[in-house]
Amino acid sequence: MTRRAVRRALAAFALALAGVPSPADDTLAVAFTPDEIAKILAHGPWPPEVKRDPSNRVSGNADAIAYGERLFFDTRLSANGLVSCARCHQPGRHWTDGQARSIGLSPGDRNAPSVVDARLNRWFGWDGANDNLWAQSIRPMLDPREMGMTEAAVARTIREVPDFACRYRRTFGRAPGTDDRRVVVDVGKALAAFQETLASGRTPFDEFRDALARGDRAAIARYPDAAKRGLRIFVGRGSCDVCHTGPRFTNGEFHDIGIAHFAAPGRVDPGRHGGIATVRSSPFNLLGRHSDDAARATATSTRHVAQEHRHFGEFRVPSLRNVAATAPYMHDGSVKTLADVVRHYSELNEERLHVHGERILKPLRLTPEERADLVAFLETLGDGAPVFRHTERGRLECE
Amino acid sequence: MVPRHARLLVASALAMSPLAATAADLPVFDAHVHYSHDAVEVLPPADAIAVLRKAGLKRALVSSSGDDGTQKLVALAPDLILPSLRPYRTRADVSTWVRDETLVPWLEERLAKSRYVAIGEFHVYGADADLPNPRRVVELAKKHRLVLHAHSDVDAIERLFRHDPRARVLWAHSGFERPDEVRAMLRRHRNLWCDLAFRSEHGSDGKVDPAWRSLFTEFPDRFMVGTDSYTPERWHYVVEHANWSRAWLADLPKDLAERIAWRNGEALFGAAPAR
Repeated sequence: MTRRAVRRALAAFALALAGVPSPADDTLAVAFTPDEIAKILAHGPWPPEVKRDPSNRVSGNADAIAYGERLFFDTRLSANGLVSCARCHQPGRHWTDGQARSIGLSPGDRNAPSVVDARLNRWFGWDGANDNLWAQSIRPMLDPREMGMTEAAVARTIREVPDFACRYRRTFGRAPGTDDRRVVVDVGKALAAFQETLASGRTPFDEFRDALARGDRAAIARYPDAAKRGLRIFVGRGSCDVCHTGPRFTNGEFHDIGIAHFAAPGRVDPGRHGGIATVRSSPFNLLGRHSDDAARATATSTRHVAQEHRHFGEFRVPSLRNVAATAPYMHDGSVKTLADVVRHYSELNEERLHVHGERILKPLRLTPEERADLVAFLETLGDGAPVFRHTERGRLECE
Repeated sequence: MVPRHARLLVASALAMSPLAATAADLPVFDAHVHYSHDAVEVLPPADAIAVLRKAGLKRALVSSSGDDGTQKLVALAPDLILPSLRPYRTRADVSTWVRDETLVPWLEERLAKSRYVAIGEFHVYGADADLPNPRRVVELAKKHRLVLHAHSDVDAIERLFRHDPRARVLWAHSGFERPDEVRAMLRRHRNLWCDLAFRSEHGSDGKVDPAWRSLFTEFPDRFMVGTDSYTPERWHYVVEHANWSRAWLADLPKDLAERIAWRNGEALFGAAPAR
C-alpha cells in the first residue's frame, strides 16, 4: 500500500462525508473512519507478486510443475497404492477434504488445510514443522498415517514407473539416481512447483478494497452493507486483523486461541512446541544441504526460531481467503461452521488462556446481528472457487 | 468411578511424555502447579500424582481454582504436595476476585478447614492491590503465616509490601519483568522470592542468558522454577518442563543449580508452619 493510495482513499472518505448522505446512498450507509480505512487498505492489493522459491531450483519450471501435478494426483506414492495428495487436498473442495480430521492410511489428528496460496507461507502445517513447501510435500509421503512410504520406496517408485522416471529426467536433467534421499527431495520440489501455481483469485472484498483506494463511490456501494459492518468489527472492536493481517489475512505465526488440544482422550497435540523441535532437526529444513538457496537468505527465521513454553498448544494462524469454502475449522476441525468460529471468539473461554500469553483475546460479546455481519464479511473473501483444470502437460504421458 | 477417558489420559500421559526422571537426576521443586476443576475432570488425583513423581519432583506448590483439586492431591501425597489456597472458586474469578464481596468469607472458611503454606496464585495489578480484598488476603497471610503467591506487576508488589512489610511474597513469573527490574525489586525487598514459570528466555536451549546468570548469582537464594499447568493439557508438559529446567540448570555451578532447582523452595516453605 503506497502512501499515495492511502491519501487518495482518505480523500475519498472525506469526500463521502462532505456529500449529502441519504438513506439511499449505499456509499455512506456504512462509513469508515480514516483509521479503519487505513486498516482495510492494508489487506491488499491482491494478488501479490509471484516470486520463485530460491530454495527450490525447479520453482516456476514448467516441466517441474507438470511433474508435480502428475505426482499430486497419483496414488502410487502411498504404501497401499490408494492414497494421493489429492485425497486430502481435493480441487473441488478448495483443496481441502471437508473432513474434521483427515484420513490417509489411517485417521490423523489434524484438519487438512487448503494448499492454495501455500507458496506464501513462512511456516507449513498447523505446527510449522516445516519451513518450506518442498519439505512439507515430503512429509505426508513419509508419515505412517498418511501415505506411509519410506524414502527408499518413494525413490524406487520414481525409478520404476516409466512416466515418473521420464518426467524426472526432463525436469532435473538426469535420471533418478541411487541416492534415495536426493530423489525424495526432488519429488518434493516438483510437488512444490505445482502447488506454487495454486493461487486464489480476486474476491468481492478485493474489489471493495481497491474501490476504496481509488475513491470509486459506485464500486464501494456495490459491497454489501452487512459485509461492511462485519469488516468494521474485524478491523475495529474485534481486533481480528491483529493476527489475520495483510493481504492474505494471516501473520503466518502461531497462537493459542483457547481451543482444546487433546488429539484423543489422553493424548495431547503439542502444536507449535513440537513443530519447532521438528523443523529445527529436519534434514529438509532451509539450513540443510538440500536447500538450493546457497546464500541461505531464506533460512533466517529457521536459524533464530526458539522453543518457548507458550508454544505448547499454539497453532498456525490460517489465511482467511476462501475461508467460507474450507469448513470445518481449527487445527482439529472441531468447529463446524464459520458462524461457530465467530461464536467461539464472541464467547471466548478466557479460562483456557494464559493471562500473559494472549492478551489480545477477550470475549467479543457480539450480538447475533453482529455475528451475522462478521460472517457476511468473511464470505466476501471467497474467489468463487474456480474449477481446476489439469494442464495438457500434466495429462500427457512423458515419452 | 473414574471415567475411561481419564484413565486413558494418564496412561498416555505417562507413556508418551518425555523420558521420566531417574534417581540420578536433579530433584525439582515445582513452585507453580495448578490442578483446577477442569484438570480434575480428565486426570484423576492418583494419576496426577504419578505424573509429578515421574517428573522427579521433590515437592510441588499446588493451587487450584476451586481448591478441591489441591486437597485431593494433598490427601494422596502429603510428602509431595504443598497446598496453596487460590482465591478463585472457578478460574473465571481471576478478573473479579479483587472486588467480589463473597470471596473473603470463602477464603476464611477454607483456611479454617484445611492446611496451607501459601495464598495464591492470585492476579492483582497496580492500585487494585489496595482494594479491600487484596488487603484482607495480606492480613490472612500474616495471621496464618502464609506466603503470598502473587502474579503482579511491580506496582502491586510494592503495595502488597506496604500492607505488610514483613510479608513473604513469591512473585509469579517474576512479573514477566526484565532481569534489571527483577534485580531492583530483589534488592529492595528481602522477603521477595521469584518463580520463573512460563518464561523461557533465561534458559533457552540449555544455556543460561548472561543477564539472568548474573541475577541468579547475585541472588542465589531467591529463585525457583515452575510449570504453570493452567489448562488440563499442560499436565502433559510437567515432565518435559522439569527436564527442560534441568537442562539449563546444568549450565550453572552445581550449588547454584540445586538452590534454584529445589533448595530455595524447601527453605522458603520448609519455614512455613503447616496449619
